[in-house]
Amino acid sequence: MTQELVQVERLNLTYKKLHALQDISFSVKSGEIVAVIGQNGSGKTSAMECIEGLRKPDSGLIRVFGKDPWLCRREIYKEMGVQLQESEYPLKIRTEELCRLFASFYDRPADWNLLLTQMGLNEKRKHPVHKLSGGERQRLSIILSLMGRPKLLVLDELTTGLDPEVRQNMWLSFENIRKSGVAVLMVSHYLDEVEALADKILFLEKGKQQFFGTQGEFREYVKRRLPRHEWEEPVSLEKLYFMIAPKTTGLTMEGIL
Amino acid sequence: MKVFTVICKTELKLFLRDFFSFFFALVFPVLMLLLFGGIYGNAPVYEGTDTGMMDISVPAYAVMVTGVTGLMSLPLTLSGYREKKIYKRFDATPAGKKSIISAQIFISFLMTLAGIAILTAAGILLYQIQIKGSFLSVLTGLLFSIAAMFSMGFLFTAIGWDLKSTSLLCYLCYFIMLFLSGATMPDFMFPDTIKKISSFLPMTYAVDLMQGVFAGDNLSLHGKELSILGAVAVICTAIGAALYRRRDWTK
Repeated sequence: MTQELVQVERLNLTYKKLHALQDISFSVKSGEIVAVIGQNGSGKTSAMECIEGLRKPDSGLIRVFGKDPWLCRREIYKEMGVQLQESEYPLKIRTEELCRLFASFYDRPADWNLLLTQMGLNEKRKHPVHKLSGGERQRLSIILSLMGRPKLLVLDELTTGLDPEVRQNMWLSFENIRKSGVAVLMVSHYLDEVEALADKILFLEKGKQQFFGTQGEFREYVKRRLPRHEWEEPVSLEKLYFMIAPKTTGLTMEGIL
Repeated sequence: MKVFTVICKTELKLFLRDFFSFFFALVFPVLMLLLFGGIYGNAPVYEGTDTGMMDISVPAYAVMVTGVTGLMSLPLTLSGYREKKIYKRFDATPAGKKSIISAQIFISFLMTLAGIAILTAAGILLYQIQIKGSFLSVLTGLLFSIAAMFSMGFLFTAIGWDLKSTSLLCYLCYFIMLFLSGATMPDFMFPDTIKKISSFLPMTYAVDLMQGVFAGDNLSLHGKELSILGAVAVICTAIGAALYRRRDWTK
């Protein structure tokens, strides 16, 4: 039986005068992958940080494993792994020392030696973390998010900075992780990734929830928004998204030449 | 407890890998001792006393060690972790940032004791310095000095909006106090104006207290120093904690 691990109802958050999140409501069930999409500044990371208990919302209800993440952060993190959008680690700490440190936080930590090997970081175990490449650090942060054998993973830009081959491998890994019953809530700018992995999509625009539902429902939603458009099936999720995403102008040469 | 032990072990390794912290807390005070010991030896500071130059220099350098860890190493570590959002990452674990900060304070405290122990051992071995005070009075003096320096460093990390501003506050405070408090040069060599300025510096009272308890003074003779250092510790910690509570750790 699928269990609701994350429940968000009418979540509101403001930064001074900016209404960063307005009445956001969605849920994540066990074994489900929910992707949060939207442009930069649409409120994706703010929403994640509220769910992670790192940011206090102004109003609304958030429950993770039935508990308020702002009040019960320590308890929730025993079963929740996160990968933050941007996070650094102590200067001069080595890869294996960081893994050992994170492993000590959990009663039954994952086999991080195996994870290092599987993620291709075994040879880098003695390297200082600050000397790892961006992609290597990203892989390390994924290992750290898995350290507590979580039931829920919150991943803010899972595969940013990874090369295409590693991204593909990561998709397979997360497919397997999902099959084991783990729920994943992920922020992504890669619509091919969302198409390959996500069961449900939460689409945010300027802090407002535009859509929450399955991929099939998202396709219907886009088509409803653009009734006059003639669609050539099959159409990729990326193409659909670009049809409704707010348009921005690129650089013109006038300002450069 | 197991978690705290692992965090402490990791933080200890990081402290020892940081050249600045390692050198200035553990090595530099001994080099100062060798330099000034080579110049003055442990000759009496004035005629008719058996208190030697190194007898008053070792407790003064001990205060210098508390300044290095409390006003430089610890605040810059705390501020750097905060600026790089390292605490935020640890907050997203069952351990939380409080256990990391506690471990960092504990390791800085341990390294302060280690630095002072090495310095004192060097003083005894090389210059046969005398420690006339009881272990308890020396320890009390030391704990009050550490509490005052650490709390000032803590306050600076709370006031500083980033690593640069915290560094500026810490460097200014440390070097002004280092040269004007008697921690490097005995205060009886100061002109009156400098003496007046030094009377406003908490480190001056730490140096007086440490030199007193090393010389065998009863703690009751140093009520003023203990009161001032205690007050500095309480006020700085209270203001620092209030400022920290208002800070947005997600930024």
